[in-house]
Amino acid sequence: MRRKIIAVALATIMILAMVACKKSETVEQGYSPKYSSDTEYKISVVGTYSNFESLESSIERFYAYYPQGEIEYTYLDDYRNSIGHALAGQEAPDIYVVQPWMYGNPQYQDLFDNAEVLSDPELGINLDCIRSGLRWEMEDGNIVTLPVFATSYGMLVNMDIFEKENLEVPKNFGELLETCQKLKAAGYESPMMGANISTTPGIGYAFAYPMFASVVKDGGDIEEGLNNMSPSAGEAMREPLTRLQELVDSGCIDIDKCTAEIEDDYNGVIMRFFQGDVPMMLCSGDVVSGTKKREGTSEDFSARPFKYDFYVAPSGDEGGYYMDSISILFSVNKNSANLDMTNEFMRFLTSEGELGLIAQEKRLITPTKDYSLDEVYGSLADFPEERTISFNDISLLDTAVKQFRAAAYGVTNGQMTVEEAVASYGKLPTD
Amino acid sequence: MKRRYIIIINIVIVGLIFCIIVKYSNDRALESNQSSVASFEKMTTTTDQIIANYLEDEQHLCDIWSNYINGSAEAGNPMTVEEAISYIRKAKISPEISGHLIYIDDGSMLGISTSASTTDSSDYSVDYSHISIFENIEISNVSGAVNLTRAYTNPLNGVQSIAFLNNVKVLDVETAAIREALLIRVVPVSRLEQKLVFLKGEYENVEISIIDWDGDYMIHGKSLKNSNFFEYFKSYNPMSTQELNDVIDAIHNDVGSMHISNSKREDSIIAYTPLSGLDSWYLIAYIPANELTANRSIDWLLLLIVSIGLMVLLHFNLIILRGFNRKLAIAAEAANQANEAKSHFLSTMSHDIRTPMNAIIGMNEMILRDSHDKDILMYAESIRAAGNTLLGIINDILDFSKIEAGKMELIEVDYNFVSLLNDLVNMVQRKAEEKGLAFELQVDRNIPTMMHGDEIRIKQVITNILSNAVKYTKKGKIVFSISYSKCEDEQDYIILHVSVKDTGIGIKKEDLDKLFVAFERIDELKNRKIEGTGLGMAIAQSFLKMMDSTVQVESVYGEGSEFFFDLKQKVVKWDPVGEFETAYRRFVSEREEYKVSFVAPGARVLVVDDSEVNLKVFASLLNRTRMQIETADSGDACIELFKRNFYDVIFLDHMMPDKDGIETLREMKACIDTPNLKTPVICLTANAISGMREMYMEAGFDDYLTKPIDTGKLENMLLQYLPPNLIEDDSVTHSILVVNDDVTILRQIKEWLSPIYNVTVVKTEAQAAQYLKNHETDLILIGSDMHLENDFENNQIMRNNIDLTDKDEVITQVKKYFDK
Repeated sequence: MRRKIIAVALATIMILAMVACKKSETVEQGYSPKYSSDTEYKISVVGTYSNFESLESSIERFYAYYPQGEIEYTYLDDYRNSIGHALAGQEAPDIYVVQPWMYGNPQYQDLFDNAEVLSDPELGINLDCIRSGLRWEMEDGNIVTLPVFATSYGMLVNMDIFEKENLEVPKNFGELLETCQKLKAAGYESPMMGANISTTPGIGYAFAYPMFASVVKDGGDIEEGLNNMSPSAGEAMREPLTRLQELVDSGCIDIDKCTAEIEDDYNGVIMRFFQGDVPMMLCSGDVVSGTKKREGTSEDFSARPFKYDFYVAPSGDEGGYYMDSISILFSVNKNSANLDMTNEFMRFLTSEGELGLIAQEKRLITPTKDYSLDEVYGSLADFPEERTISFNDISLLDTAVKQFRAAAYGVTNGQMTVEEAVASYGKLPTD
Repeated sequence: MKRRYIIIINIVIVGLIFCIIVKYSNDRALESNQSSVASFEKMTTTTDQIIANYLEDEQHLCDIWSNYINGSAEAGNPMTVEEAISYIRKAKISPEISGHLIYIDDGSMLGISTSASTTDSSDYSVDYSHISIFENIEISNVSGAVNLTRAYTNPLNGVQSIAFLNNVKVLDVETAAIREALLIRVVPVSRLEQKLVFLKGEYENVEISIIDWDGDYMIHGKSLKNSNFFEYFKSYNPMSTQELNDVIDAIHNDVGSMHISNSKREDSIIAYTPLSGLDSWYLIAYIPANELTANRSIDWLLLLIVSIGLMVLLHFNLIILRGFNRKLAIAAEAANQANEAKSHFLSTMSHDIRTPMNAIIGMNEMILRDSHDKDILMYAESIRAAGNTLLGIINDILDFSKIEAGKMELIEVDYNFVSLLNDLVNMVQRKAEEKGLAFELQVDRNIPTMMHGDEIRIKQVITNILSNAVKYTKKGKIVFSISYSKCEDEQDYIILHVSVKDTGIGIKKEDLDKLFVAFERIDELKNRKIEGTGLGMAIAQSFLKMMDSTVQVESVYGEGSEFFFDLKQKVVKWDPVGEFETAYRRFVSEREEYKVSFVAPGARVLVVDDSEVNLKVFASLLNRTRMQIETADSGDACIELFKRNFYDVIFLDHMMPDKDGIETLREMKACIDTPNLKTPVICLTANAISGMREMYMEAGFDDYLTKPIDTGKLENMLLQYLPPNLIEDDSVTHSILVVNDDVTILRQIKEWLSPIYNVTVVKTEAQAAQYLKNHETDLILIGSDMHLENDFENNQIMRNNIDLTDKDEVITQVKKYFDK
């Protein structure tokens, strides 16, 4: 009798466990395959990352539904120049990476012309999970790109230092100056650091560009002037450059120290931050994406790990500006030999869960509305709308952005005054 | 053995078989796996050869191109870039393969291609300035060996390719200068991959990768994630830096294989080998481990079948065993009943014989104590001897039952060796003389006097052997010899060598084995008139075994036998016994006559027995203790007295009609209204078989005494249980003053009474008076015509109205006086 009871109990537990497993699977995925699981396929994805493990993980999850196929990610050398050739070649990729700056450049027009319309209702791709500011509609209203990662500009904050010094992360420029004074008094020579380079993760861009974008967003016609390289449009840079100048002059950041101790705008930034003595490190979201892997390779961080988070730089009097930019997007080659399964893969990918997982693994900002998967970016959730500048809010061309980068670098390094920079808009050397 | 133990043992055996099969299967599987892995490694090296040959071929074709171009230059007719490309365009057969020629002398890495850009069919220009594939190659001098790059993107068609390199010299049309250029034979990676398709036939899921020194892939297996193999390896196979370096070293320098975890944490195998003929390129063949270890499932199936078979066998055996167990249980029950019957028989026999024996021996003891008639004493002595023999037989049976039950224990005491020897000699000498046999005693005079051991059992062993010798010898002699030797290891011990040699009937060789078997009697027909149970030698042997010894026999049938054994004994006193005769006399003279060990006139004892004569025996034996002894002849009578009178000790028989001793005891214990709540109750029983003591103690008795009653034991027990204040020392020798004018009589009386009493003799009343002034005396023997001057209590004076010339009368009268 006792054996019977045990057997019944075990059977019940097994059934319950199976039901529970199945239930949780359904709840977690929310994806149901459109085709038979024995469908054979071969999909190639090409991109700019030499290493794209987070996508490979997603592919593994896709294999759970379609095991009889193969999706291969390939890094293309000299992507800017080779993607066009690849797309026109005999081994054209099925999915390829697109970046916002490519739009409008004739060299890349084929990338958009050859792209499948993902917003086609027949495909059943749920683009609603993407934040509205990041959904990129073409002029005809079609969406041909899927944002995979978002990025932003701001700073990595060593939370342990703030806790140790009993300080709050500053929310506006006034607090920043005050906090920096306290940190300097506590022995932190340069409370803020960053890569003294004119690229997007560089000091000037990371700190001042979101404010510049805000000015552009609120500036009406000024965007057109900026895109047309109109010198008078340079006035839009005055406020952010002045704030940048104030930052440098305040002693919050020691530019010479940054130049000496940070070799480049990626690895150098991360490894210097991991030494553990920098309270705030200016950078971009792309830089943050490299932190997870380097935690293990940094001897300093391995020996003395600390908690860190990403915050927007508190450049404004009311607070910082959250630049909600797109890092990379995927487009589907509409001429793909495996178009159905490629679209099916995109349908699988386009969900809060899957995009969230990829972003979390890559440690970039998810393009979806749910920031909860990666606590490093927790500060960005519920950021005030009025100080958020989304991808769709401005349409600055790459040339205009480069002008600002050059101006910010010049001001940061004392190569020009704010006045000179504003006056030189459109003529600033960018190479 | 209990059923559950059998089941457990069976399960253990099944488990062991299971383990053996598992181990065997695992070993076979391991061997099979090792063999599979070895084959896999072999396949890898074969693949390496195929790839190496292919790469050499491709490099060779690249070299042909460059040799042709360089040959023209060397011949003084250098080709322009366009001419060189045109030549290559003609020379190359496959449209998939293209040739790129780029300038390296100005670092521009610009040049032209044999194929046009996919985006512009008129554009043949090529730019390698943004493609980092030459970092580890000295591009100005790449001649000689196979020179290829990592997989990279063909800048003109976006196809993943590998490049084979050689240096060429071409003519710059604009400057007319000879320029250094790099000729690149661009081969799609897929072309190399096609060469490896054959592997799929042998291994379905094999994936071939080729990595460079840093781990970057040229060919990238689907399952190997990351752009760098070593990064991938580190991500999914956590290990220390040193361990990782060891792995990297192994891949760089060795040919072999290893288990790794893939990105799904599944066990996988990689085989690796450096690519032949190339520096810094390595072949990695990946395969899921289960593809190489698939054979194991067959072993598991076999294991399952065997396990089921064993379980069926186990159940079958259990069913059969259950049947046997049922029969065995019935047989065991029958055996138990038989055993119980035997125990009951022994108990009954012991009880029923001991009960009358108690009366016979007890009463005879009284005769021996009180009678002075020589004839009567002789008859009584005969009764005692016969009684003791009968008791010996009963004791043998009881001893045997104790030995069988494993309850026999040795009781070691200090004993006088002379006394032991004397008892033995006394016992056997008389018997031998009665049969007309000579008895020769050979005792080593240096044997120590006092030793420590179980005197009773030693005596019993030797008595058995001696009795047998007398019994089975018709004529001739019996030689009883005891010698000793010192223990070398232990200073305080000696080894006694005991031997009994006779000229008896002897024992046949074939019968020697039966000698120590219980109830076996040798030559039963011939010896049927000789009394005995057949237990004696078995018991003797058992006792000796308990004393770490064994009796041995040498015998010639018809001529005689010798029984001998060695016995280790602890020495208490090393004084040598000397000549036995002398020692014996000394022992006798030193030995005290029986004398009551105590008197307790104030003590009250109740004895309960249904046999009137036994009650009488009990009371008589304790007569001299002067205790107040009351008797009861039934349980009910006992309880009545128990409630009414106080007793210091109660002796209660077990087997009584109506209400037996245990029932009576139970009632006594339940009784609260009695002055005897703390009175010890001792079981007085004829039931002496093994286990009885425990049974009586468990029933609630305080102690246990067997019948026939041994006076010494009885008195010792009383001394133990009586309150000390009731015990009076009776060991003081009574003093007697004899007054008589006849010196001869005085001398005689002194001689007769001196061994027992302090006797003082005086010839006159005056001397008596003088003596009494200074001394106390218990009794004055005085002639009827004589008077003492001082006042003495009459009861102290025994007038001389007895015949002082009659020794017996004198002793008897004096004894009677003191007994009163």
